Amino acid sequence: MTTFKVLEQNNPRVDAWEKVTGRATYAGDVYLPGMLMCKVLASSRSHARIVSIDTSKAEALPGVRAVITGADFPEIRFGSGALKDRYILARDKVYYIGEPVAAVAAEDEITAQEAIGLIDVEYEDLEPVVDPLVSLRAGAPSVHPDLESYEGYGFTIEGGNICTLLDADRGDVDQAFAEADYVFEDTFRSQGINQGFLEPMACVASVEANGRLTVWASTQGPYQVRAQLASVLDMPLSNIKVVPMELGGGFGAKLRLAFEAYPALLAMKTGNPVKLINTREEVFTLNGPRHPVTNYLKTGVNKDGAIVAREGYTIFDVGAYLGAGPNSGIGHGLGAYDIPNFRLRSYAAYTNKVYVGSYRASGVADMTFAVESHMDIIAHKIGMDPLEFRLKNAIKEGDIAVNGSRVPRNGLAECLAAVKERLGLPRELPEGHGVGIALCEWRSGAGPSTAAISVNEDGTVSLLTGSVDISGSDTSLASIAAEALCIGMDQVIVAKRDTDLAPFTGPSGGSRIVYSQGKAVELAAEDTRNKLFALAADRLGVPADALVCAEGRVYVQDNPPQGYTLGQLAAMSVNSRFGPIVGNAALSTLPYAPVFSAQAAEVEVDKETGQVKLTRYVQCQDVGVAINPMAVEGQLEGGAVQGIGRALTEDMLFDPETGAVRNPSFATYLMPLALDLPELETLMVRVPSEDGPFGARAVAEPPGFGPPAAIANAIYDAVGVRIRELPLSGERVLAALRGEGSDVAYIGDELDELKRAEGLAG
Amino acid sequence: MNKQSLSIKVNGRERQTLVAPYYSLLDTLRDELQLTGTKKGCDEGDCGACTVILDGNPVTSCLVLALSAQGSEVTTVEGLASPDTLHPVQQAFIERGGLQCGYCTPGLIMAAVGLLQDNLQPSAEEVKFAIGNNLCRCTGYTKVVEAILLAAERMAAAE
Repeated sequence: MTTFKVLEQNNPRVDAWEKVTGRATYAGDVYLPGMLMCKVLASSRSHARIVSIDTSKAEALPGVRAVITGADFPEIRFGSGALKDRYILARDKVYYIGEPVAAVAAEDEITAQEAIGLIDVEYEDLEPVVDPLVSLRAGAPSVHPDLESYEGYGFTIEGGNICTLLDADRGDVDQAFAEADYVFEDTFRSQGINQGFLEPMACVASVEANGRLTVWASTQGPYQVRAQLASVLDMPLSNIKVVPMELGGGFGAKLRLAFEAYPALLAMKTGNPVKLINTREEVFTLNGPRHPVTNYLKTGVNKDGAIVAREGYTIFDVGAYLGAGPNSGIGHGLGAYDIPNFRLRSYAAYTNKVYVGSYRASGVADMTFAVESHMDIIAHKIGMDPLEFRLKNAIKEGDIAVNGSRVPRNGLAECLAAVKERLGLPRELPEGHGVGIALCEWRSGAGPSTAAISVNEDGTVSLLTGSVDISGSDTSLASIAAEALCIGMDQVIVAKRDTDLAPFTGPSGGSRIVYSQGKAVELAAEDTRNKLFALAADRLGVPADALVCAEGRVYVQDNPPQGYTLGQLAAMSVNSRFGPIVGNAALSTLPYAPVFSAQAAEVEVDKETGQVKLTRYVQCQDVGVAINPMAVEGQLEGGAVQGIGRALTEDMLFDPETGAVRNPSFATYLMPLALDLPELETLMVRVPSEDGPFGARAVAEPPGFGPPAAIANAIYDAVGVRIRELPLSGERVLAALRGEGSDVAYIGDELDELKRAEGLAG
Repeated sequence: MNKQSLSIKVNGRERQTLVAPYYSLLDTLRDELQLTGTKKGCDEGDCGACTVILDGNPVTSCLVLALSAQGSEVTTVEGLASPDTLHPVQQAFIERGGLQCGYCTPGLIMAAVGLLQDNLQPSAEEVKFAIGNNLCRCTGYTKVVEAILLAAERMAAAE
């Protein structure tokens, strides 16, 4: 393995001091003179026409400075992707309980809240549709009757409220099923999930003296917020500056425009800065969570355990607007396996519920629960060891991935082997105990990335990127720069950025920052180093390739005393023919680099109550190179705990009649606490990626995928019942133990209908 | 609503401010005393991000009415470090990677400080119990617990 000076070390975070002392500034910590407080009126109806809105009483309340409704915004629909299906503030219609209908700016929060209560809205109710399996049928109440007229609508299959179909095909699936020795079918359902970030959405907007709008935001994607804000305000993008503040967790929920437009418009109307902070209830009811997903899988297997065909139909409920939609779900219907013939479909169906947002590789955790439970079921039915069955079908270097690209070198087999060894599998456990495994896959995220590095006269460097720090990414980027420039971590200053200052970059999400943004930093550092070497070579009268660098110096390899410090070179550069030393890099994409993780759970199931106790959790991930092992472990542990919550306790409950969120609080939406968890055993293997910075791979997404299937498989191993619906609550396990458990609704009829619509035999 | 005078000792300093009867201690610290290190995650007592030490006990400051803390003594995350020396709990959080996004961190640190003022030899279970009301969505708690145990060890050694 390469010897690193900075990487593979547990360097403390660059922002640690400010965070442990309470000095880190989040959007809600921004206080400006004359600042007003904004509150939002939420729809009380699931699906209704707005007949009238009377804001006169609210406007008359002392302390109220402005009230806005949908009519105050330009009549422009926007969307997260191509399809523009949403107004920023309701116009004419509301599509879910909680949808913002009006907003108020007042001198203090309590006055704003009181004013909200004085706004009279007259609604004319329309029939709502809440269940996606009902919604996608032809003849269901239509959520967006004029969908076909929306900008970006490009869907060709008619029927119900389907707004997107993603598909992937290879080979002759029907023929392969006909020839397979066995064919297995299963349907799984995963629940609605909230991202659970601790910092509620917050922003402050202010019109500056020069007429430009500044927005201090809690966001993962400042450039996305700028673009979407410009769109809904019908304003030139150059009139807006977005300042991303410290991010108090996002996990995908803060990738796009949230509520920034309300304080922005209110600031423009009043001339005062305006602040909006969501309540925790609003985080649950107004902002996009993930919705339940129904997954039908069919697999053809031969007697030797080789999988020959897979069919997957996935139905994503997207709520009232496409939002993040099925997103990453498609393409993961094969799991981490090489399957020659497949037909995969992801349908997105509108319902009258809060629109769907992104959450840590949206959709993939749902797919992994289904695929990895299904794999376990098949292994048991054909009498193969579940781990050996996975290994037999695992995708390998040189295979063609579902996205059509060649699979590069990777550590999948090493991960499975490490978990097997750690647990001593196969293993006999006491009565009521069980062990289950899951294999998870993701790709290292790419996307536009930029970086600029300038060298200061004291030998430090200033690093400028447009990416918001997420999960310690600033520290990782600084480490990459330090490693490439032969300096210590403490010699790198990470600049605080905004959209005026930093070069454009994609949002911080999808595990793309270290892989892709980190690559830009590595390339910018190489550019910087080349310039330092050129100047040193010029001054020393030696060829540049005779030079090396270490410990902040550039020197002649054969004669180390002959050289300069970076500080000396920076000082010399100012008046040299080269000019000040600045390196930069930009890239738009990087080749596919898979990330694999093997995970295992041990559980104890109480047969009297059905209660599942997680007693052990082991995971091993191929990280390529650990830029910072402590930070990587932190990602793996935190991700696994989110997955454990998804497996056992977290469940967004929607009213079946109205679609309203029934448990919008941390007291009723149960995320894991320290006492709920066993010790986490976190292992890494290091098979360097071909293109990532110093061989690093993405880290943050896969750890959360495995727990639902690993724990479901462990429950089966412990007590012989198969739970196909999340969460794996004691209630469900007990019902299954008593033989009463209603299995997941079979989606046969819906499937036939979808296939007919596609022109396939039903 | 008429504001009333509140006298409270915060991080060793006597402070006086006017607060409405409905103000929480959390809102008073943040909005009136400019101590924004204490965070609001839920305002319902469920997440622990607003934990401060009130008269010696860790409390969720969102559930304390400011006027009920009349004459009390409060320590917030801003009151732990001197300008150049961190509290051992803060130092251990940095070294053990006990923080990520940092939003729950002040509350976790104050809950840990609350534990360690009474018990310098806590077990891992006692640490987990002490932070049993603090939600953290990033770390998975493992490194938080390790950090608190390290701080305890160092503080015990220094006694």
